[in-house]
Amino acid sequence: MPTVSLEVKAVSATTTPAPGMKEAPRVAKLIDVSSCIGCKACEVACQEWNDLPPSVDRPFTGSYQTMPDLQWNFWQLIKFREVLHQDGRLEWTMTKYQCMHCADPGCLRACPAPGAIVQYANGIVDFVQENCIGCGYCITGCPFDVPRLNPQTGKVSKCTLCSDRVAAGLEPACIKACPTNCLSFGTKEKLLQIAHRRVEQLKERGFTKAGVYDPPGVGGTHVIYVLPHADRPEDYGLPKDPKVSWTLKLWKGPLKWLGRLIVFGGILAAFVHYLRFGPHRVREEDTGK
Amino acid sequence: MADRDEIQRFTMAERLIHWAVAISFVYLVLSGLALFHPSFYWLAYVLGGGPVIRQWHPIVGVLMFVFLTAMYLKWRRDMKLDDLDRRWLRQVHKYIRHEEGVPEAGRFNAGQKLLFKTMTLMGVLLLLSGIPLWFPMRFSRNLREWSILVHEVAALVAIGGLIAHIYMGTAVVRGSMRAMLTGWVSRAWARAHHPRWAREFERTS
Repeated sequence: MPTVSLEVKAVSATTTPAPGMKEAPRVAKLIDVSSCIGCKACEVACQEWNDLPPSVDRPFTGSYQTMPDLQWNFWQLIKFREVLHQDGRLEWTMTKYQCMHCADPGCLRACPAPGAIVQYANGIVDFVQENCIGCGYCITGCPFDVPRLNPQTGKVSKCTLCSDRVAAGLEPACIKACPTNCLSFGTKEKLLQIAHRRVEQLKERGFTKAGVYDPPGVGGTHVIYVLPHADRPEDYGLPKDPKVSWTLKLWKGPLKWLGRLIVFGGILAAFVHYLRFGPHRVREEDTGK
Repeated sequence: MADRDEIQRFTMAERLIHWAVAISFVYLVLSGLALFHPSFYWLAYVLGGGPVIRQWHPIVGVLMFVFLTAMYLKWRRDMKLDDLDRRWLRQVHKYIRHEEGVPEAGRFNAGQKLLFKTMTLMGVLLLLSGIPLWFPMRFSRNLREWSILVHEVAALVAIGGLIAHIYMGTAVVRGSMRAMLTGWVSRAWARAHHPRWAREFERTS
């Protein structure tokens, strides 16, 4: 992506600094769950703009949900869930689900292929399919279970936050299609303000546990939610406390140092041993016939 | 047969198995290192590109496990540690410095036996942890996270063993390479490096 490389902030599997020298305002998508009507216009707009083939191989399972889950060619999904509250009330939640564009993306940390995952200065995390090797480590690294592998091509894909549209100054396709203003797009600062205002409104209306979902365990996200019951994000199909796992940090941190120490240190140690002690000598009395 | 001064150390079957393990293991190390850290990623280009090694690494891995099993069955009796071996291990600093006073080794010395056991164990761990990484969509995220950790630690142990093994076999114990290629060693070589085995051989022949 030559045109935007100056705005690249982080590149997967690369030890040299990212080229990013241009600052860009940090963007975000706000999903106000309290005003989603589950119309799925965002799903259609996403499929259309990104020119994704429709998946019609899944049987109808009696759910309002379009698909049971995200797919390599289905990047966002409205999750329909029936939640039974403790006081016996039944609540029907509908929550748009897609890549969260984490500030500390586990997928990017986990990726072993140089340049297969990039993070732009504006916060968008993008997969670059031509550099992808299909190992699936990003799927393991992602605390939101978002990336999907296409078994035919061996490439992983996910929501790009319409990085192509955003680069051209447009808002993502899903935002454009939303009829209720449940979705909005702008700088993260501005959207956090809007989100907190909306939370205040909800609290006045009796949703005392309303709040903003911007999980700190992944450094905050560039897709944020207003949740009427922010104390129970799992009611909306969102993880309670997503974080970059310690196994991933260990694996991409100390283990990498240990590994290089073993490889380079081992070769060096062998060389120094040879200089100091040389080969085993066969003693005279052994060679004597 | 061969002239009197030569002893057969490895049969054709043993050499074939050894080199089958060796070649597949070297491929696995090189392709694995490419994905282990960016400083080794150039190996991916040498081996045909990232997607190619992602496809072949697990297949060769299964292949190597088959060879490793054959090797284990072939050598497991020769690789049992006895009391002299345990004394050898306590004197290993003398062996490293080529000093006198190291207990005599049999067909394999205790270092080789330990390497054999380590490599077999790592082979099992690498296979078990490799399967969830091969088919990421079929296993839970938690299992995959642990598999990556186990796979990398086991691989690092095995790579450490490989470096030591190649160094000992080529540079330190001269004649080992010829033994593993042709199968034959001189009587002097056998007496110097594996005296118990040499005496046993002379007694029986």
